[in-house]
Amino acid sequence: MGKTIIDAHNVSKTYKETMVPVKALQDVHLHIEEGEFVALVGPSGSGKSTLLNMIGGLDEPTSGTVFVDGVEITKLSENKMIDFRLQNIGFVFQSFNLIPVLTSRENIGFVLQLQKVPKKDREKRVLELLREVGLEEKVNSRPGELSGGQQQRVAVARALASKPKIILADEPTANLDSKSAGNLMDIMAKLNQEEKITFLFSTHDQRVIEKARRVITLVDGKVDSDVVQTPT
Amino acid sequence: MLVQIAWRNIWRNKTRSFVVIGSIVIGLWASVFILAFAWGLYKNNIDESVNRQLSHIQIHHPEFTNQQESKYVIKNSDSILSILQKEDLVQAASARSITQGMITSPTTVAGVTIYGISPKAEIKQIGLNENLIEGDYFASGKGNEIFIGEKLTKKLKIKLRSKVVVTFTDIHSNIVSAAFRVGGIYKSKNLSLDEVNVYVQKQSLDKLLDLQPSESNELAILLKDEAALESYKSGVQQLVPSGKVEDWKDLSPHLEMVIESFNLYTYIITGIILLALTFGIVNTMLMSVLERIRELGMLMAIGFNKRKIFSMIMLETFFLTLIGCPLGLFIGWLSILILGTYGINIAIFSEGLASYGFSSIIYPELDNQIYWIVAIMCLITALLSAIYPAYRALQLNPAESIRKI
Repeated sequence: MGKTIIDAHNVSKTYKETMVPVKALQDVHLHIEEGEFVALVGPSGSGKSTLLNMIGGLDEPTSGTVFVDGVEITKLSENKMIDFRLQNIGFVFQSFNLIPVLTSRENIGFVLQLQKVPKKDREKRVLELLREVGLEEKVNSRPGELSGGQQQRVAVARALASKPKIILADEPTANLDSKSAGNLMDIMAKLNQEEKITFLFSTHDQRVIEKARRVITLVDGKVDSDVVQTPT
Repeated sequence: MLVQIAWRNIWRNKTRSFVVIGSIVIGLWASVFILAFAWGLYKNNIDESVNRQLSHIQIHHPEFTNQQESKYVIKNSDSILSILQKEDLVQAASARSITQGMITSPTTVAGVTIYGISPKAEIKQIGLNENLIEGDYFASGKGNEIFIGEKLTKKLKIKLRSKVVVTFTDIHSNIVSAAFRVGGIYKSKNLSLDEVNVYVQKQSLDKLLDLQPSESNELAILLKDEAALESYKSGVQQLVPSGKVEDWKDLSPHLEMVIESFNLYTYIITGIILLALTFGIVNTMLMSVLERIRELGMLMAIGFNKRKIFSMIMLETFFLTLIGCPLGLFIGWLSILILGTYGINIAIFSEGLASYGFSSIIYPELDNQIYWIVAIMCLITALLSAIYPAYRALQLNPAESIRKI
């Protein structure tokens, strides 16, 4: 058995802002080991994004605890959580992933700069990452000059920049055509294989689900099934 | 990186940024120009009062100021005057006899202050010669010439060469009457004074008052440089220890009040204009925050803490102000320079303004220090205006922000 990287116990989240409280997550237990490549699937409103937000420390559970790499993140202060996220968790969102006014190089370098990486090392790492996602020729392009798929690849490169233990991706292929989606998933799978980075991504896309080695299905905020599969 | 992002962010929506910069430019231009116009107006009034009426320093008998009676004189004023006239700091000095009396025309009568002046010495001070609209300045050499303001001639229904009788009490409290002929009609920039001040030769008035040639009621000193006023004033006091030495601020406290109140106006006028600017900045920056909610959420998710988010919004406002501020001040300075040279003719209001001693041509002028005050006030206003939008950004929850459509 590998090292546990994500450990969620009895995680519940209820949104009380509406007239009728919405139970987004109900007593979710989740255990993910280092280096796993996990798809989080389920219908809209099943709690996929909410669970990713809880694991990423972007939101707090109403009850339950979340451990990431042995740290109980639900107990961290806001500033410590930001710092923890910066060092340990990479994010890829569905859209609006990149800072529109910065080039690919700057978007990736931005995270490294937050980590106070020296300029020389930063430049080297940025070029390495762009090469890994096949976009070294787009180093000086701003997001507006890139296609949706290219933007997501830069987002993956940026998520990798801080050498995180986990990358959380919320429907990363939702806005991409099938070719770009396949391309992105191949890059993510390769990074998972080669760099042993744990990937947890939510998706609706069957072709993306097939790439995962483990598929967790959420229904009405509960884990409905948890299946290990051989990726195609 | 923070500076870079903030700088580039302001150019994402160029139209909006130019609207904010434009508001700052217009706001600052309006502030400095209104202040320069007001100061031009007041300064003209102050200069006129000091140079043409009061002079920088006046010396009287201590009782004269209260009683306004001609019997309170400065002894040996002729020798004091000759000392003063030789001083390097003095531009001009003159001796005056003064009495209150009545002037009678064939049709009516009016109360006046009669000044006995030395025509030559007063050219640089009262400047009656420059204000004459009819007649010549003591050209006849006769001692019975009287110079009257245009407004008073209308009131008395008299004209040039008309005969008038002036009645007053001499230093022994005897009533004295004397006939004078109007030698000139003047119109100064202060119509209220034109209605009450009449001028005759000092020699003539002294005889009527029974004053000695060496005696005067008033010694007026105009300095070359006002900066020397305080130190010179104490020197004059030593020269005339028994006299009451007053500067123009003592003689006309309202003028000093005008200067002091101008500083207050600076803050009030600038404050009002900048208040209007505040709403513009709050509105624009709030829009800028609200349309970037997802992006701000993403920034927080990838490691941008709230302090950095706050700083970014403040920096964006700072940059907009930094562009607008010098531009507004420059345009303000340029318009003040041009209009300060050629003047603004407000003749349409001149009759009303002249009643209060204001000129009809205003030369806007502004102290350099005021530019700095306005600029600093603008910068502070802009940064304060950005606090609310920045605070709204801080209230964002990254998870909710990212989900926002």
